[in-house]
Amino acid sequence: MEQIVNMIGRETLKTIVGLIGVLVFVVFNALILTWAERKVAGHMQRRIGPKEVGPYGLIQPIADAIKLLGKEILTPREVDRPLYYLAPILIFVPVLVSFIVIPFDASLQVKDINVGILVILAFSSLSVFSILMAGWGSNNKYALIGAIRSVAQNIAYEIPLLLALLPVIMMANSFSLKTIVEAQKGLWFVVYQPLAFCIYFISAVAETNRTPFDLPEAESELVAGYHTEYSGMRFALFFLAEYTNIFIVSAIAVTFFLGGYQGPFLPGIIWFLLKSYLLVFVIIWLRWTYPRVRFDQLLNVSWKALIPLAFINLLITGGLLKL
Amino acid sequence: MSIGELIFLLTIIVTMGGALMAVLSGSVVYALMGLVTAMFGVAGLYVYLDSPFLAMMQILIYVGAVSVLIAFAVMLIGPLYRRPKEWTTAGKFGAALGVALVTLFMFVRFVTETFPRVGKPSFAMTTKEIGRLFFDNLVLPFELISLLIVVAILGAIMLALFSRGNK
Repeated sequence: MEQIVNMIGRETLKTIVGLIGVLVFVVFNALILTWAERKVAGHMQRRIGPKEVGPYGLIQPIADAIKLLGKEILTPREVDRPLYYLAPILIFVPVLVSFIVIPFDASLQVKDINVGILVILAFSSLSVFSILMAGWGSNNKYALIGAIRSVAQNIAYEIPLLLALLPVIMMANSFSLKTIVEAQKGLWFVVYQPLAFCIYFISAVAETNRTPFDLPEAESELVAGYHTEYSGMRFALFFLAEYTNIFIVSAIAVTFFLGGYQGPFLPGIIWFLLKSYLLVFVIIWLRWTYPRVRFDQLLNVSWKALIPLAFINLLITGGLLKL
Repeated sequence: MSIGELIFLLTIIVTMGGALMAVLSGSVVYALMGLVTAMFGVAGLYVYLDSPFLAMMQILIYVGAVSVLIAFAVMLIGPLYRRPKEWTTAGKFGAALGVALVTLFMFVRFVTETFPRVGKPSFAMTTKEIGRLFFDNLVLPFELISLLIVVAILGAIMLALFSRGNK
């Protein structure tokens, strides 16, 4: 064992093990979230939700996954093949990269990069591209409309998202996620920055294309939006990426505003997952409570309310920090 | 060849391949994908040069903002879009002249300039140094660029309003 470690190098081995751990976590997280989504949806609507497969329907997602694996992978005749094939693979790159820098515990992090949050934000723009590739490559009007909406939405909500994170970066004096968590030893940043937290959370829900901001895949008007023409495992990859994205935005919110892995009594990782899944629950809760907004409303909220508020918040924070 | 050199070579290949695809591809969408690949390659070069901050900014701005905007414009054309008309002789000549001049200029510069060897830049200081430079030595160019962007935004708004009024 010791020989193998010495041969590959400790740092490389740590990264490889970390990446495998990330992959396992991504699949596990998606399984839990599909179950949670159906269960929460059920209870919101005074139903029970899945209950037949396993205790409390816990094995239901595994049955669903096997069903998806068994389905035929259809490729429509008129699709733009390279783009169509590449899109579901590419949507996974930002998802995996984001996990590398998220600190699950004081020592549980694949790699602490000193520009950590920038890595996540930079690579998250790639997911827009895979949506565009999927929408364009499908050669289907619903898919294309979904993709166009997704881009407009992403441009509008990326700005308040960045501006809401900036005050925290200024207060912690670092881009490293670990340093930001350590800076919240005394008081969580949500106490200093309640407005930034609200702006971040709204933008995050919009960035993940979830209801009430799910216009890119609005079922009632666009069939399924950008993944209309995808079936079987290719569809499952989009699905997996969406649920992982929900976890990632919640994890960033926890890291930036809710003290990350810090908390009394319990070990750090438990606190981290507890806080993250609480936010994930809120996102699911929102989906089953609010109707979809209109597209002009969606853009107006971002450009006319969130962005000016975020700028004011940033100015005030900067001013107070210098006093 | 060490691993570092191999990665450097791969980055170069990706950058050049993306750039060639952007120029030579007949379809706008493929050209855009080539552009994005080239941008990523350049970001890879920044990482190779020990400037992770600059690399992330490259991706954030050129891939995340500029290319997404271009993509948005392309999407509005719709899937019916076909390859543009062939170049005119004058256009071809002009383009060739432009490329030749730029290449010549770069070549002359490359031959006459002696490049100073710098020590390994410090990894942790990059953001601080960049910030200090922006608001200290380079504050005038920085503000001038801001002014340019404001003018561009105003121009875009004027164009949008003007074409709307004409309809």
